[in-house]
Amino acid sequence: MPWLDQRPYFVYCVVHMTRKPRKDNPSSWTGFGPYLRSIREDKAVHDRAFSLRQVAGRIEVEPAYLSKVERGEVAPPSEAKIRALATDLAQDPDVLLAMAGKVSAELREIIRRRPKEFGELIRQLRDAPDHAILRIARQVRDGEW
Amino acid sequence: MIELKNDQLLVSFPELHRDARCTVSFLRTLRIPDDNRTYPLPAGLGRFPLHHVDDFTNNVPSEWLEHGGVLFPMYQSEAMWIHFGRSSGYPFAVKVAAGRVNAVSGRDWTSGLEGSPQNYMVIPAQPWLDGFSVQKGLIRQFVAMPLGEGFTAEEQLTGKASHGGLQIQVFPMRSECYQELLKRRAPRRDDLFGSLGRTPLGVLGINSESMGLAPGGLMRQEIYQDPHGLDVWDPSRTARCFVHLVNSAVYRQITGCAPPTEPVTADHYRKAGIPWFECYGGDASALEGAPRLAELDSVAARTIKKGGKSIEPVVIVDEAKIVKLRPRSTGAVREGSAW
Repeated sequence: MPWLDQRPYFVYCVVHMTRKPRKDNPSSWTGFGPYLRSIREDKAVHDRAFSLRQVAGRIEVEPAYLSKVERGEVAPPSEAKIRALATDLAQDPDVLLAMAGKVSAELREIIRRRPKEFGELIRQLRDAPDHAILRIARQVRDGEW
Repeated sequence: MIELKNDQLLVSFPELHRDARCTVSFLRTLRIPDDNRTYPLPAGLGRFPLHHVDDFTNNVPSEWLEHGGVLFPMYQSEAMWIHFGRSSGYPFAVKVAAGRVNAVSGRDWTSGLEGSPQNYMVIPAQPWLDGFSVQKGLIRQFVAMPLGEGFTAEEQLTGKASHGGLQIQVFPMRSECYQELLKRRAPRRDDLFGSLGRTPLGVLGINSESMGLAPGGLMRQEIYQDPHGLDVWDPSRTARCFVHLVNSAVYRQITGCAPPTEPVTADHYRKAGIPWFECYGGDASALEGAPRLAELDSVAARTIKKGGKSIEPVVIVDEAKIVKLRPRSTGAVREGSAW
């Protein structure tokens, strides 16, 4: 059948026509959209308030834009919108921001004040298990007395 | 190591044992009259807010940065007691000093533990300390006074106002001794008294920013003898903290905030129906008081000696409001709160 020969070309066209150029490094956020979509759709099964349209309305973006975010066709939204999404979907904002390849302004400010120390701290903790990281807390400094 | 969490010092030795942790907190309370009558233990009315001294490097004297530690605000003549909490029953020896004068033995500060006279308390058996140990079963309440006016225990005993504040040092039990202890008794999740509570409701001179602790009114409280012996404590592992006390004005200068609370008055205490407590350690032996501390002038006595007039609060203790705390037997427990 002649159309069978055309199929690879058809698929190629669909794939390439739906791909849009990405402004930044997509490897840092390609998981964000599908993750967001899975969370939202899980909730939507039980509650229609989590339809694409309603969630988009609550965080004040166009449904079409949110749809593109979920499909990974555009870069994730701003920190403020991600925080709004995290609140709406009862997710940890730091986790969503990290999946979007972003660091919160608050953390950036903390690191900016002492970049060398925090850079070294994070490198030291790179392979530490979760419980070890959670144990790290500020100690009361003892001096000379 | 010592961390600051929820206005408590969280002391832990994770390298020794996962149970090796305890808390030290400082509680607001009613100042009892300094009239040489003895009073039961007043309730705790919330923790004083603790801050790292290092958070205010530009606003505190350089000596404080040298000492490190934490700070908290107290009004002049406000009273305080120290609560020792824990989660697991792991024993610790705790030394407490005010202006580097040991509150149990009355001796000057030394870095180690001493058995004769005992210069430390053992937790969890000792759940709290309200003041200077002056006689067997009697303490004089910790009362905040400005350094430089001669009221504090430090100034009365050394003639100097050099340190002020409080000094806390914690020694854990040796891990092998703890293992032995666990074999002798079933491990338990709570201690003799737990955090039962006493928590029914939910400057001048040489060091002008500092406050020190002076002996106030007499209170019935026992300091218990160490049942384990000096050898069980691990002198190689210790955690210590200098606790700086500041008055409300200096606290505001340092932190930019007003102290969150004001001292409770006897009238408020009575009208709120807040209970009093009496607590005896059952089988535990009480230490004799420190003769050196017994000779100190109380705040009222000092005021009169200086030609002033002591105005003491009128406190009427309703016997029906006294909660008697008595362990059911050695090892008896009462539910504590988790942390």
